[in-house]
Amino acid sequence: MPMHPHAKPNFRNLFWYPFKITLITALRTFPIFGKLFGKRLGMGYHNTSHPEFLDDGSKARASKNSSFNDISQQEFAPDRVTSDLFPTLWKPQTVQYPYERLEDMEPWLFVPGNYNGRIGVIWETCTACKLCVTACPNDCLHMTTELRVDVLDGADGEHGGLGAELEIGGYAAQLIPEVADTLDDFNHVTAHADTPDQWRFAEVLDLSGGTATVRWNDSGMEQDIAQSELFVADDQIVSGRIDLGRCMFCGLCMEACGFTSFFMTNEYDGMSGFTRQDLWFDASRTRVLPSVHQEAVDAELAKRANKERDKRARKAAKAKAAAEDGA
Amino acid sequence: MDDKYDLRGLIFSTFDDLIPPLLDGTPLEESADSIAFGAATFAAVNIVFLMLFFSQFAILWIERKAVARMNDRRGATTALRSLWVGENGVTAGEWWNMLPFGLGKPIGSLNKWLNNRFGNRDETFATVDRVNNRSWMGYSIFPGFFQNVADGMKFLVKEHMVPQRADRLIFEVSPFLIVSSTLLILGIIPLSSGMYATNPDLSILYAIAIFGIAPIGVFFAGWSSNNKYTLIGGIRSAAQLTAYEIPLLLTLLSVAILTGTFNIIESIHFQHSAGAWNLFLMPLGAGLFLLTMIAEVERVPFDMPEAEAELVEGWWTEYGGMRFGMLFMAEYIRTYAACFLFTHFFLGGWHLPFQGLISQVPLLGDLYLLIPGAIVVLLKSWLVFLLVFVWARFSLARIRTDQILEFGWRILLPLAVLQVVLAGIYRLYLFDPTAMKDTAAGGWAWNAMGIPMFVPIITTAIWLGIFVLFLNDEDKSGNTERMFHVYTEKPAGTYVPGQE
Repeated sequence: MPMHPHAKPNFRNLFWYPFKITLITALRTFPIFGKLFGKRLGMGYHNTSHPEFLDDGSKARASKNSSFNDISQQEFAPDRVTSDLFPTLWKPQTVQYPYERLEDMEPWLFVPGNYNGRIGVIWETCTACKLCVTACPNDCLHMTTELRVDVLDGADGEHGGLGAELEIGGYAAQLIPEVADTLDDFNHVTAHADTPDQWRFAEVLDLSGGTATVRWNDSGMEQDIAQSELFVADDQIVSGRIDLGRCMFCGLCMEACGFTSFFMTNEYDGMSGFTRQDLWFDASRTRVLPSVHQEAVDAELAKRANKERDKRARKAAKAKAAAEDGA
Repeated sequence: MDDKYDLRGLIFSTFDDLIPPLLDGTPLEESADSIAFGAATFAAVNIVFLMLFFSQFAILWIERKAVARMNDRRGATTALRSLWVGENGVTAGEWWNMLPFGLGKPIGSLNKWLNNRFGNRDETFATVDRVNNRSWMGYSIFPGFFQNVADGMKFLVKEHMVPQRADRLIFEVSPFLIVSSTLLILGIIPLSSGMYATNPDLSILYAIAIFGIAPIGVFFAGWSSNNKYTLIGGIRSAAQLTAYEIPLLLTLLSVAILTGTFNIIESIHFQHSAGAWNLFLMPLGAGLFLLTMIAEVERVPFDMPEAEAELVEGWWTEYGGMRFGMLFMAEYIRTYAACFLFTHFFLGGWHLPFQGLISQVPLLGDLYLLIPGAIVVLLKSWLVFLLVFVWARFSLARIRTDQILEFGWRILLPLAVLQVVLAGIYRLYLFDPTAMKDTAAGGWAWNAMGIPMFVPIITTAIWLGIFVLFLNDEDKSGNTERMFHVYTEKPAGTYVPGQE
């Protein structure tokens, strides 16, 4: 489990760190200390001692010369109120969200599992059993289908080639490598945007030899394309919509999921909009990328491929026996 | 060395001079000395008690202001002036007119005078000053220092309610048991060598004994309230009692062994005469004392008996009005007394830092010794309160009952035994009784290997080193990924009881 070193339960984290944090919090309200120690007063408060945890934007904001961080750089900030009698007493600094984020400044607070944030689903391993829908007390989960690549895919699939094959009237997909390459670096927690789709979908019009005639969904153009470039897609793949306006983040859906596909992430923002319809989150907003949990997805898919293989073997044996009986 | 200011001696000599001539020729003439002694004792006890009691405002204020700093606000800012200040000659709601028989008339006159004399500086800012609770001329010196007076007045006029099915007698008695035993602690706490109420020979034993009475009252209160929360609070208090009391007793025993006395004032004298405060001879003992004292006075992180998150207010849930006020006050007096005891046992009481060295400097030394010992004791106690009790309160989270039991029995107790053994070794083998000197310069009784003060220096260095080792115990091999939790440690539905 990914765990920040500051979240480990040792003497340093249980005893010294709380004392240190409260000391810093109190001391930095006195500009005489703030100006005396200047850039050193952060003492790790803005996570300057662990820059490896910061993305570039946060790193710039938490840097030692940042006007957000260094008191001596600030000319005016509304949360630094002074009084007439003690002009040297300033009120403490609050976290300047959204310019600063608490997970950048105090990452040790973000212990895995301590917060039910936005719902995340690994749709690849979802079996559409609807246990989460049943468990939801507020009735905010809705299961639908959508057009996606069949991950137990065609002839070259890594799970044994046991999936469906291209057929006329069905769907196909083409990988967009430029998008797919960026997905490894795509950070679901901090992006606050839909996961980019690396697939381009098309309807299969005709199959002849090694080529397929397809009509692209995005442009409506028809094209002849090599079948080897296409992946099998299906419009009956499980998907879902979540009405976050009704969600109370109880996590019962997560507990109900028997396939560890359903999670409460620790993401707490990006869940707002100007209409209620904005709070209807499609699968693209709840998708958790396989890059984050590749092992789990691979294990699950391999299990299903084995199951499918066994099923086909049994079916073949049964057909063979029936044929022998008939003969 | 004795403090320069001998208030007690002054009181006794004054009464000895005044009383016998007054009683000349009366039947009381023969017992005049006893009467003078009694009156002087009464005066001394009251003066010391009032000083200890009212200086308690400072620690409440310190705590309020510290938590305000932490929580991004200014804390209570009620100014004393809010009693009389008002707009256009209307003063504070004219509350004195509600008193019967015109009793409030003098209060009204006083208020009118105060309002004329220390009213608003300028009608333009009158509302601003009043709403912001500012003081005269628009400034607040110690904002909220007298908030406790306001709280006390509020408590006094609130209704006294007893739960219908409570055990009424015990319910009424237990606050008085707690408060009276708490006030008795103040009796043996010296403010300086010349400023104390009483000085029994075995005052350390007395302190331990009197500290141990209040938990009984706590249990009585929890039981008699007939409420599940109070009962759980009381039982928790009783359960954790032994876990910290025994290490506390052993720690005080090691203080007694080291200083060779069961008397608080003598142990303070010892620290100066031997040349080093006990803090530097037994840092482990000091840490144990603070830990167990935090548990003894039931403050965070050892405040399970009144864990407000789960038990409403714990054992005092059912108390309201002045009963609550008194219990609250008793709680703080116990904390305050713990600070005093730490000051006396480990920080050299009324002696100033490096008093032995600085007092030898010409002129500066004389000025240094002019600082009253009572002030030194108060400052040290307030500092201990801020740096230990308040800091710990706002840093640490409350621990569980089983954790304090385990902590007490398996960590504190062995360490306390170790401290007793260490104290014996120090006293027997490292201490040089012939080098004790009760002068301003103090003695040098802790020299070793030809190096002056080698024992406290090396002791402090060793324990500081151990502490720093613990502080730097960082796990560098931890995963440095940004934290996701898209999977659980134990997936739902996979747990079968009895199987790992």
